[in-house]
Amino acid sequence: MANKIESLRQERKNIIKSYSAKNIENTYIDSEVSKTKDIQHVIVSEIIDESSDTKSFILTSDSSKGTNELAMFKAGQYISVKLNINEEYATRAYSLASSPAHAAKNIYRITVKRVRNGLVSNYLLDNIKVGDSLTISKPTGNFTYNSIRDEKNVIAIAGGSGITPFMSLALAIEDGLEDCDLTIFYSVRTYDDMLFKKEIELLNKKSKRVKIHVVITREEKEGFIHGYINKDVLAPAIKEFNTVFMCGPKSLYKAMNTILSEFNIPRKSVHYENFYIDYNPSNIETYELKVILKNDFVLATCKSNVTLLESMEQAGIKAPSSCRVGICGFCRSVLLEGKIKMIGSNMNKAVLDNDYIHPCVTYPESDIVLRLDI
Amino acid sequence: MIYDYIIVGAGIGGLSAGLNLIANNKKVLILEKNSLPGGLASTFKKGRFEFDTTIWDLYDFGNSEHIGEIQKLFQKYGLTTSTKLIPFNNRIKVLDTNEDYEIKGEFEEFVLWLEQQNPGSMEPIREFIKITKEVHDALECIKANNYQIEENFPNFTKYLDYNALNALIDLKIPRDTIHKMSYLWLEIGSPLNKLNFIDYANFMYKLIFKKTVVLNDKNIALALEMAKQFQTLGGKIHYNTKVIEIIEDSDTETIKTSDGKEYKAKHVICDLSKRYVFKELIKKTDKDINRLENARTLSPNGIYVYLGLNQDHKALNLTNYHYYQFNTLNSEQNVAKMTSLKHSTFEAIVPNVVCDNASPENTTILVLRTSYFGNVFDKVNKNNYYKVKEELAKHLIDQFEEAFKVDVKNYIEEISIATPFTFERLTNNINGSFMGYMRLGYDNSIHRLISEEDEKLANLSFVGNSAIFGGGFDNAFYSGYYVTEKLLNQKGSENNGE
Repeated sequence: MANKIESLRQERKNIIKSYSAKNIENTYIDSEVSKTKDIQHVIVSEIIDESSDTKSFILTSDSSKGTNELAMFKAGQYISVKLNINEEYATRAYSLASSPAHAAKNIYRITVKRVRNGLVSNYLLDNIKVGDSLTISKPTGNFTYNSIRDEKNVIAIAGGSGITPFMSLALAIEDGLEDCDLTIFYSVRTYDDMLFKKEIELLNKKSKRVKIHVVITREEKEGFIHGYINKDVLAPAIKEFNTVFMCGPKSLYKAMNTILSEFNIPRKSVHYENFYIDYNPSNIETYELKVILKNDFVLATCKSNVTLLESMEQAGIKAPSSCRVGICGFCRSVLLEGKIKMIGSNMNKAVLDNDYIHPCVTYPESDIVLRLDI
Repeated sequence: MIYDYIIVGAGIGGLSAGLNLIANNKKVLILEKNSLPGGLASTFKKGRFEFDTTIWDLYDFGNSEHIGEIQKLFQKYGLTTSTKLIPFNNRIKVLDTNEDYEIKGEFEEFVLWLEQQNPGSMEPIREFIKITKEVHDALECIKANNYQIEENFPNFTKYLDYNALNALIDLKIPRDTIHKMSYLWLEIGSPLNKLNFIDYANFMYKLIFKKTVVLNDKNIALALEMAKQFQTLGGKIHYNTKVIEIIEDSDTETIKTSDGKEYKAKHVICDLSKRYVFKELIKKTDKDINRLENARTLSPNGIYVYLGLNQDHKALNLTNYHYYQFNTLNSEQNVAKMTSLKHSTFEAIVPNVVCDNASPENTTILVLRTSYFGNVFDKVNKNNYYKVKEELAKHLIDQFEEAFKVDVKNYIEEISIATPFTFERLTNNINGSFMGYMRLGYDNSIHRLISEEDEKLANLSFVGNSAIFGGGFDNAFYSGYYVTEKLLNQKGSENNGE
């Protein structure tokens, strides 16, 4: 059949034949950027006492477990620490407090504050020693400075351990990785509660672009502002155009929003890190929980004041999770049966309409059947 | 348990394949590495904005008069996600001629405008339109395995080995008109001198007769509806399940996943980058496959900048749906300029112009995107990545503001930037080239179609952007149906023979 279609087909055949049968050419974009591993193995190389209830852990890559280099990150991002504590699976998110420049030298710093009845924080503070290995996620999160969206004048408002992402940002500015002027207002209860004392002193002495004001609420201390962050405290740092970042308890956000509205700072210029979830049901009830996995199912119990993610973890289910405040979507599951209360998750409407939930911010109000593809 | 079919990837192509197979009572399992369906047609939320990861005009959905393939498939699969017919509403800026104009309304109005610009354009365009119809009909025959068509379709046959540019010149369409009517080469992904005329004419047939529609909802709504329908009919989807190896045997395919499990099927359909599958998932090397892969060029990669603006689009003077800037309308010359990180060609899309519910009241979504030909990201590494990413996004926004005299920077509430690195991570497309293979010379869609039988593999097929029809939502959706329909017929006739 010597027609034109046939000759076109033959031409293609001949051209393909003329090409090399050797391996398919390599990808040219840097896979260290595109294919960062989800899991990183690290060794605790140093533990620093920050205050009576807080320690910093310096982490380096654990090449004996296959992590040769730590993944890069942008100041303000967090990693999730993955632990097995007494048969329970547990993960917690911690903002990276170190400069992203240190990631290139295979160093991360996370800072952990003791939380009353906090499974993971207490475990880390009481059991982890220098030389121990840990499993962590790759860095993630959107609480980062963006030179296009954000103004040059940045105001950061931190409550308690909410200072950690801003330490990273301050150091990133010093290392020339971010281009902005940063004034941090850091609220602590007592001088002892103040973290990064040495670093803050050094930054205040040396930096031309970073200024940190520590505001102590419950005691007076020379050289520090006493009381609460209010309009007068903020005023000197406010310029014509400002970007505000806040990290701390919700009560702080509420108080600050009232003050910020007086400075006419638009909504688009204020960014929050979701750090805590507050939920206190009136009655504490226990319900049945059935989790349908890909090839199996697990029966457990859940409580009205415990998130479904925690209940799954307590039952030994390795449910994926990362941010644990409803944003990242790692723990996404389908609610097949039951009544729930979901607090502050940020989900696409269509996803919500298809009965998906974020178990990390979801509390049961009846017996529950979930589908989780693991 | 041996499945009839395992589909790797719950993208639009994979879901479409799954729906057709499940409707034919096959045992089907879809494996998806992400926790939601959709692949590139997904949606992410940032603050109060829902951004579609990729944005598509549907050229093959059609209307009540000309029912497109996708509309037929929506009906066949029982999908109810609504669509909206949209007229042209495009603004175009051309740097070398300093032109700035709008294309609005129906194609007919566009033709009249072209005639005004270059008298003598209308007659040859009318002739071209007739030929697009012939091309479409001829392709339908080939898709149905009827190759004895050359006498019935003389123009199809004549132009079969022409590139689009030469054919349009042969049809006596003035040069300037050719360039002005062909600005959508950027959507097809190849310059006119590399694009086969048949591919071009088939695209233009859809554009002219079937017109353009957009989804009335976010991508994820359709993907979830397709997934739900598939599951309702008895199909199984495993999310969070990354395939790490495909082992081919004479009659069974074995699939290994990252959680240490193995699945078996008689046939595997990949809704994945074909090159990725051959490079990473199939460990056995095959000379013919290597030759074919080495003979093909991956599509350009690109970046997307997603902006959530805190003003109504009209207040921002963003009243066109599409904005384009080109260095020149000569696609060959223009592509030559798109080989550096900071070139001037881009497209901007304002979904709010056609969908009221694109974003919350008094806000606007603006998406800027561009493509890069060649290895332009080779100097990007983990130390400069964030910097380069923001610089490129800023460059795009600056270009847009300058070209169309608008201010968007002061209204940015949310910003997100996707680079080839992002797309490679999300979809495993090598180099982030998510539009499949470039249509070049002997590797246009028409060549893939007529060589389909020669190049097909026994128990492995491809749908989605790497499939024969090329990249894009319509092509991916249709490929899922087309590929499975062929498999069903083929396996059906095999069974009859037994």
